Amino acid sequence: MAMTARTESRSTTEGNTTPWWVRYFDPSDRTLAVLLLAPAAILLAMIIVYPVCRLIYTSFFNLSLTSGLPAEFVGLENFQFMLEDPVFWQTTGNTVLITLVTVPGALVVGLGLALMANLPFRRQWPVRLSLLIPWALPLSFAGLIFAWFFHSEYGVVNDVLGRFGFEPIIWFNSPQWAMAAICLTIIWKTSSFMALIILAGLQTIPRSLYEAADVDGAGRVRQFFEITLPLLKPSIVVALIFRTITALQTFDIPYMMTNGGPGTSTATLAMYIHQNTVSFLDLGYGSALAVVMFALSMCVTVVYLRMIRTKG
Amino acid sequence: MNFKTSAVLLVAASMLSISASAAYAQTELKVYISSQHQPDLWRQALDTYEASNPDVKVVIETGGNTSEAQAQYLNTVMTAKDPSLDVLILDIVRPAQFAAAGWTSPFTEMDMSAYLPAYAAANTVDGNVVALPAFADAQFLYYRTDLLEKYNISPPSTWNDLRQAAAVIKEQENNPDLQGVSFVGKAIEGANCTFLVPYWSQGKELVTDGKLTFDHDAAVSALTLWKDMIDEGTAKANTAEVATDDVRKEFQAGNAIFAVNWSYAWAQAQGPDSAVAGKVGVVPLPRMGDGAPTTCLGGWEWAVSAYSAHQEEAQDLVKYLSSPEVSKFMAVNGALLPTYGDLYTDAEVTAAAPWFANAKAVVETAKPRPVTPRYNEVSEVIRTTVNAVMAGGSTPEEGADLIQSRLSRILR
Repeated sequence: MAMTARTESRSTTEGNTTPWWVRYFDPSDRTLAVLLLAPAAILLAMIIVYPVCRLIYTSFFNLSLTSGLPAEFVGLENFQFMLEDPVFWQTTGNTVLITLVTVPGALVVGLGLALMANLPFRRQWPVRLSLLIPWALPLSFAGLIFAWFFHSEYGVVNDVLGRFGFEPIIWFNSPQWAMAAICLTIIWKTSSFMALIILAGLQTIPRSLYEAADVDGAGRVRQFFEITLPLLKPSIVVALIFRTITALQTFDIPYMMTNGGPGTSTATLAMYIHQNTVSFLDLGYGSALAVVMFALSMCVTVVYLRMIRTKG
Repeated sequence: MNFKTSAVLLVAASMLSISASAAYAQTELKVYISSQHQPDLWRQALDTYEASNPDVKVVIETGGNTSEAQAQYLNTVMTAKDPSLDVLILDIVRPAQFAAAGWTSPFTEMDMSAYLPAYAAANTVDGNVVALPAFADAQFLYYRTDLLEKYNISPPSTWNDLRQAAAVIKEQENNPDLQGVSFVGKAIEGANCTFLVPYWSQGKELVTDGKLTFDHDAAVSALTLWKDMIDEGTAKANTAEVATDDVRKEFQAGNAIFAVNWSYAWAQAQGPDSAVAGKVGVVPLPRMGDGAPTTCLGGWEWAVSAYSAHQEEAQDLVKYLSSPEVSKFMAVNGALLPTYGDLYTDAEVTAAAPWFANAKAVVETAKPRPVTPRYNEVSEVIRTTVNAVMAGGSTPEEGADLIQSRLSRILR
């Protein structure tokens, strides 16, 4: 009905004499597409494009609210200072380390959890529910809970170690142990998200493939590497993209567990940005740091998107 | 003011406000108070104010149970130039920063001479009075009177005396849970005082007139003092995890002979839930060798937001909240140290909190943390370094180097 109405009206608009308001009420396909996309585009522009542009703009200024001085254009000075700032390098290094450890860690643990949850249990919902819980828990709660787990005196981790005859470890007293505790927590927290995506992928693999493999005499291990893994690849890549980007932005868990300590040995780039902007009110330098993190996230996304495209 | 008078005032206030509401156009002022600072008690003081100023209505907004959490919230509100808060309570380290950012309105022609000198100084930035004192605070040495009496030891006046006393008592008591001294080693605001107290005691200043006057040797010996106490077992090995309220809990549970803490710990240490009630003594913090006794100045201040639409009314309210009457009311009912010297010996105050009589001498030796608009950065450098040294991640020498290099950049 609508289709015929439109073709009719289009035939009448030939000759370019139609006023604009007629076109507005009865648009061409192209105008219609623009009109329908406009709300989303405007919204995106307001909440993403404008803030990002503003961030990049601010990063060229010396804008510190504690100085009482107006913003002053300083070009690339903030970025130059960043190169000489040991805390920037340390926090960036920590962020990369956390990403390199927790992304593969969460992938391996998540894959294991997904395979277990996919086993033919009689009751599957308790298993799947317990898979959801770490994912549903707010990050800062997880950080707080694990900070207590790893507490040197009152924590359950040292209690268990003690029962097996090990010396207690003062986790948050050493950069290495503190980082280990943080990575373990992040892996625990994020592997269930990995598991959920992979589990969804597992359920799309047809049973018949395994039956055929059984007939051909392939063992369980062979089936896993020849059928399960290759068919899971798309789900794994999607899970990795999300996980890597959130890993680069790691904030909540180290913030709650160590607040970057001892010293600044477990602080991440996101924590350093937060400290400079919110605590020190140094918006210029904080913006410059955020620009670097933005660029880092964009690079990772581009790499992954390329991977998806070439894969399929 | 006792309970009866405040009750009468309350009734009077409510009656007045009912009768007055029709006659006056009311100004509503919003006061920001942190939730750990007894907002209920301040409410009573505000009720009294409303009673005598029927054209003003005051509401309280609470939030942020630590100094850092609060500062973060206020940073956001003030950066947005939000006019909804009229009066703010600020930690003593913040008025300089807020004034530099233009977030507070100065008080003109304000006579500060009645206040304790340290509080008059802490609220004056470049000759402008930027905030008025709410209540005073300082760090004290809490000790177990029963244990010291048992071994016939008098309260230590130097840190080395404290170490010896702790060693004797720990050996005799033979209790593995008993620590010599508990202090803050976690990277929180209080860790600045951990560093500054023994540093100042050697007669050195960190910042003079906004310029860094860092003494490397004094910094090394200040950090070494605490680190040695951890290494020799006077303080516990995980001190880098210990925050202010952990110090309070350790002492209250009877697990520490000595503790470095603020005045708030007194009420709880002597309270019904305390294992050491009736066995608590408070003296000034020990000094370094033959140095001067010193302590960290604490306390909170009232400021008027520059974005408030009711400047005059807000300033009047702050002057009232900072007045001797309210200071006394809070001392008697809330055990908050007064900001006026003569209140420490006031009969009603000493009846409510007998130890206040000795507290004045301590508050008078208290020194302010560096007064600079970039205090947050100075604080971050010191507290993370103290934390790293207490954790054993860096040596006291490395810590002193780090503080020097980073502070010289911030305060150049």
